[in-house]
Amino acid sequence: MTSALEIAELHGWYGDSKALHGMEFEIGRGEVVTLLGRNGAGKTTTLRAIMGLLRKKSGQIRFRGEDIAGRMPEYVARRGIAYCPEERGIFSSLTVEENLLLPPVVAEGGLPLADILDLFPNLAERRASQGTKLSGGEQQMLAIARILRTGATLLLLDEPTEGLAPVIVRQIGTVIARLKERGFTVLLVEQNFRFAARLADRHYIVEHGRVVDRIAANDVAGSLDRIEAYLKV
Amino acid sequence: MFELIGISPTLLFGQLLIGLINGVFYAMMSLGVAIIFGMLRIGNFVHGAQYMLGAFGAWYLLHLPDFFPGLGLPSLGYWWALAIVPFFVALIGAGMERLFIRRVYDLEHAYGLLLTVGLAMVIEGLFNVAYGAGGQQYAIPDSLKGGVNLGFMFLPIYRLWVIVAGILVCFATWFVIERTKLGAYLRAATENPDLVRAFGINVPRMLMLTYAFGVGLAGLAGVMAAPIYQVSPQMGQAFIITIFAVVVIGGMGSIFGAIATGLMLGLIEGLTKVFWPQAAATVIFVIMAIVLVLRPAGLFGKETVAYHGSDISAARPGSILENGRLWLIVFAVAGTILPFFVYPVFGMKILCLALFACAYNLIFGYVGLLAFGHAAFYGASAYVAAHSAAVLGLPTELAILSGVAMATAIGALFGWLAIRRQGLYFAMITLALAQIVYFYAIQASWTHGEDGIQSVPRGRLFGLVDLNDTMNMYFFVLAVFLIGFAAIYRIVRSPFGQVLKSIRENEQRAVSLGYSTDRFKLIAFTLSAGLAGLAGGTKAIVFQIASLADLYFMTSADALLMTLIGGVGTLLGPVVGAIVVVTMQTQFATLGAWVIVVQGSTFVLCVLFLRKGIVGTFEDFLASREERRRRQAAKVEPAASAGLSAKGLHG
Amino acid sequence: MSAAPAADDWIVEASGLSKRFSGFAAVSDVDLQVRRHSIHALIGPNGAGKTTVFNLITKFLAPSAGRILYNGEDITGESPARVARRGIVRSFQISAIFPRMSVADNVRIALQRPLGTSFHFWKSQCTLDSLRQRVDELLDAVGLVDQREQPAAGLPYGRKRALEFATTLALQPELMLLDEPTSGLGHEDVDRIAELIRKVSANRTILMVEHNLSVVARLADTITVLARGRVLAEGPYDRISADPRVIEAYIGGADDQRA
Repeated sequence: MTSALEIAELHGWYGDSKALHGMEFEIGRGEVVTLLGRNGAGKTTTLRAIMGLLRKKSGQIRFRGEDIAGRMPEYVARRGIAYCPEERGIFSSLTVEENLLLPPVVAEGGLPLADILDLFPNLAERRASQGTKLSGGEQQMLAIARILRTGATLLLLDEPTEGLAPVIVRQIGTVIARLKERGFTVLLVEQNFRFAARLADRHYIVEHGRVVDRIAANDVAGSLDRIEAYLKV
Repeated sequence: MFELIGISPTLLFGQLLIGLINGVFYAMMSLGVAIIFGMLRIGNFVHGAQYMLGAFGAWYLLHLPDFFPGLGLPSLGYWWALAIVPFFVALIGAGMERLFIRRVYDLEHAYGLLLTVGLAMVIEGLFNVAYGAGGQQYAIPDSLKGGVNLGFMFLPIYRLWVIVAGILVCFATWFVIERTKLGAYLRAATENPDLVRAFGINVPRMLMLTYAFGVGLAGLAGVMAAPIYQVSPQMGQAFIITIFAVVVIGGMGSIFGAIATGLMLGLIEGLTKVFWPQAAATVIFVIMAIVLVLRPAGLFGKETVAYHGSDISAARPGSILENGRLWLIVFAVAGTILPFFVYPVFGMKILCLALFACAYNLIFGYVGLLAFGHAAFYGASAYVAAHSAAVLGLPTELAILSGVAMATAIGALFGWLAIRRQGLYFAMITLALAQIVYFYAIQASWTHGEDGIQSVPRGRLFGLVDLNDTMNMYFFVLAVFLIGFAAIYRIVRSPFGQVLKSIRENEQRAVSLGYSTDRFKLIAFTLSAGLAGLAGGTKAIVFQIASLADLYFMTSADALLMTLIGGVGTLLGPVVGAIVVVTMQTQFATLGAWVIVVQGSTFVLCVLFLRKGIVGTFEDFLASREERRRRQAAKVEPAASAGLSAKGLHG
Repeated sequence: MSAAPAADDWIVEASGLSKRFSGFAAVSDVDLQVRRHSIHALIGPNGAGKTTVFNLITKFLAPSAGRILYNGEDITGESPARVARRGIVRSFQISAIFPRMSVADNVRIALQRPLGTSFHFWKSQCTLDSLRQRVDELLDAVGLVDQREQPAAGLPYGRKRALEFATTLALQPELMLLDEPTSGLGHEDVDRIAELIRKVSANRTILMVEHNLSVVARLADTITVLARGRVLAEGPYDRISADPRVIEAYIGGADDQRA
C-alpha cells in the first residue's frame, strides 16, 4: 500500500516547552489510524504540526511523498489535508450552512453536499441557526461534515467523541466507517479506546511526545491489558 | 409647536440635516475602524489621515493640469474622484499594511496604536509642510448644485446625495460582511484565524485586503467630504478621536451597530447644537462616558471582559539601572551642575517633561494600562495653576498644588470610568475623555480660548525666594522633579507597588489571591494623574503660560513617545526619553512644520526597531554580558561538564 | 462558636449549578457538596465541565443558574476577589505565577494581603521584610528555598507548579481548589505534590480536579465523576472505580462495542 503520510523524527515546541520528542509513524492510503494516549501526551500537537499550525518544529512530514514540514497551513490544506480540531471550531458568527460551506474546495472528489446531509440529517434541519446554538453532538457532526466537501483525502480528527453521549458516539463511528469505505484516509486522535478499536487498522500509543507502541487491529484482542495500562493511570 | 419652545423649524431642520451628514461620515468611518479592529486587532489611529488623503486625492485630480503642466492632462472632476480615489487610498493602505502594520500583529495592542499614531503624524505632517494649516476649497460638482425647497427648509442636493450615497455604502458593506461568502470568511477569520488558514484560506492576504478595504472606505468618505468641509491637512486629526468614541459607544462585534451608532450620534450632535450649542462639541464624549457606566460593552457590543494587561516592561529586576536611591543622587548632582552648561530654560523644560513622562510610565509601564489621555491632567493642572496664580493671586506653591488637586480629581473620575476596560479600549476611552477637557478649555471664558492664560506671574516661593530669577526658578523645578521622581520610586517599591506588579504580570492570579485589582489600578491611575498634574502646574509657572497645546492629544502622544523611546516600565526610561525628545524638538525647531514629521517617524522607527527603548536595550546588553560572565565562571570551575552546555542550546 | 451539626458539615453546598456558553451547556444542574476537612476530587473525561465548575465556585464565571453556599452563606453574587478573601483560594490549570518577580516575591505577594498594607503606596516595601521567615518556610515546604532570588520565569515547569502551590498555601485558605495540580509533571514531582497535598489537608478542605487516578485513589475521601456537564457518580474510590458508568465514560462503553 502506498503511504499517505509519513512522519519521521518530528520534534515540536510550544514556546520554550518541548511537546514532541521524535514522533514517528505512518499511514497508508485509505487507512484509518489512531493515536492513543493520555492528556498532554502530544497527540493534538502532532496534528497541529502536520497542519502547519505549530511553527516551532523540526523533522519530516511527508504527505504523498512531499515534505510539507515547513509549509504554511493554507498550503497544507490546499494539498489535501483537512483538520477537525478538538474544540470543534464552530464559528458563532456564522450560520450552520455558512459553517458547512466555509472551507473552500481544494480538489475534485469531495463528497457532494447531498451525500453529506444524508450522513448528517440533523444539519439539514438546522441550516439557518447560529453555529454555536447546536448541541455538542451536532457541533461535532458539523465540524466533521464541513471538511468532507473539500476534496481533501486525509482527514485529521481530534477526539471527535469527546464529551458526547453514547448514541452520538455510535453515529460518529458509523460516519467514520463510511468515510473509510469511500477511500478517505483518516488519522484519528482518541482517548476512547473502545470507540477507536472498532474503526482503526492500526493504533499508535503516544507518550511524552513520541510513539511508544504500535498495535495492529488484529492484535488488539490479545493486547487489551497492555493498552489499558497505557491509557489508565 | 416649534415656536412654543422658541426654536425656529429652519434652525432645527438645518441642524438635523448637518447632524445627519456628520452621522453618515461617522458611520462610514467607524465602520472601517470597527472592521479593522475586529479583524486585525489594530486601533487604526491613522484612519483620520487616510480620510484626509481621500479629500486631497479629489482635490489633486481636479488640479492635475496645474501639477503636471506640460503633459496636457485633463482636470478630473468629482465623479472621477469618486471612482478612482478610494481605490487609490486603499492601495496606499495595502502598502502600509505590508510595510508596517503587519509587523505588529503578534505584539501587544499598544504597539499597533503607537505605530498608527506615528504614521498619522508623518502623513499629516507632510501635508502640513506642503500646504500649511489653511484649507483648500473644493467646489460642489455642477451636476449636484442647487437645492430643493421643502417649505420649512432649503435642502441642498449635494447634501442629500451624501446622505443617500453614504447610507447605501454602509448598507452594502453590511451586506457583504453579513450575507456573502467573502463576509463569512471575514467573520470566521475574526473568530479563529488559525482554523481558517487550516481550511486553505490565505488569511494574511485577507488581512491586507480587509485593511485596504477599511482604508478605502475612509478615502471614499474623504472624497465625499471634500465639497462640504475644507480640504486641509488637519481635517482628519480630531475627527479620528470622535470616531474612536463612536466605536466605544457602539461596541465591538456588530457591523449594524457601528452604522446605527454613527448615524444616531450625528443626529444627537445636531440636536444639541440647537438646544445647547456650547455642549455640541463634547456631547459624543459625554454620551460615551454615560454608556461606559451603564453598558460597559457598548450599545451593540458583545465583548466580554477578559483579564488582559499589556506587559511590555523592559526593566530587569535587580539591575543597577533600577536602583532609585543611586539615581536620585545622580540626578541631584547632574541637575545641580546642568544649568552651568545649558540654558536653564532648556533644563527646566526637560525636567517638567521628564516628570510628566515618569508619571505616565507609572500607569503604562508599571500597571500595563495603555492610557492615552494624560494631556488632560497635565493641561488641566497647567490651567488651574495659571489661573490661581494670575487671577486669584495665590502664592506659587499653592497655585501648583491647586493644579495637582484638579488633575487628581479628574484622574479619579476618568479612571473610574475607564478602568473596567482594557487594552486598546482603555486607550480609546482615555483619549476621548481627555477631549472633553480640551473642548471645555476652548469654550470656557476663564481659559481665554486660543490665547490661553498668559503672563502668569512666577511669584515668590513661600513668599521668600524670588522665582523671577532664572536660577531660583531652575532649582525649584529641580526640587519638584526630584520629589516627584522619589515619590514614584517609592510607590513602585511599596507594598502597593508589589500588588501592581503582580497585576501586570498575571491579573487573574492576583484576583485569585484576593486582590480587587480594579481598585489598585484606579488608585495607580489617580496617582499617575496627580503627578502628571504636578508636572503641568510647574510648567505653567516656569513658562508663564497655560495653552490649548497642553491639553491637545499630541501632548498625550508626547508622554507616550518619551516613555517608549526611553524604555517602558524602566525607572530611567522616561527621563532619558524626555532628554531625547526635548533635544530633538529644540534641534529641529528650525525645521518648522517638519518637526511633527520627524516625531512621527521616531514613533514608527521606535515601534519597529527599538521596542525596548534606549534603557531597555542597554539593559539587554547588560544582561547578556552578565550571562556571558556567569557562563565563563561556570566553565572555569567544573572543567568537565562544561563542554557541551556552554555552547548554548538556544534553538 | 457553635458549629453546624457534625454529620453533614458541608463547607460548600452548590445546588442546581448550570453554565451555558452561547447555547452550549458546559455544566447543567450540578449539585455538589463538599465535606469540611475532606479531600474531594472532581474527575471525568475531557470536556466534562470540571474546570467550569471550579470557575463557578470561585466566581471567575457567573453561573447561568444555581446557588452556591459557603459555610452556609450565599456567595453566588460575589466577586472573585471577595470570594478569595473569604478563604476560597484556587490554583490554575496552566501554572499561574508572576513570571518576572522573584520566587520569594511570588509567595510574599500572597502573604502581604493579611497585613492590610497593600494599599499603602507611601510605605517602603522593606515593611514586608518581616514576612521573610514565612516565605522561607513555605518555599522550604516545596523545596524551592535555594531558588528564592531567581526570577520565577526561569524555573522548570514542575517547579513552577510547586511555586504556585506554595503561593496558594500562603493564604492559609480554608478551602483550597486545585486545578490539575499534577498535570504535566514527572513522576518525582507528582509524588512530591501528592505528599504535599496530604500534608496541608489537615484542618483544611481540598477540592481538586485531577486526571491522574492514582493520585486521586491515594488522596481523595470523596470523588465526584462528571461527564457531559452532569454528575455521573459520587462516592469513595473503590465504589467509583467499579462503577460501570464511570468505566464507560473513561474508556468507552461496552455499549459501543455492540454498535
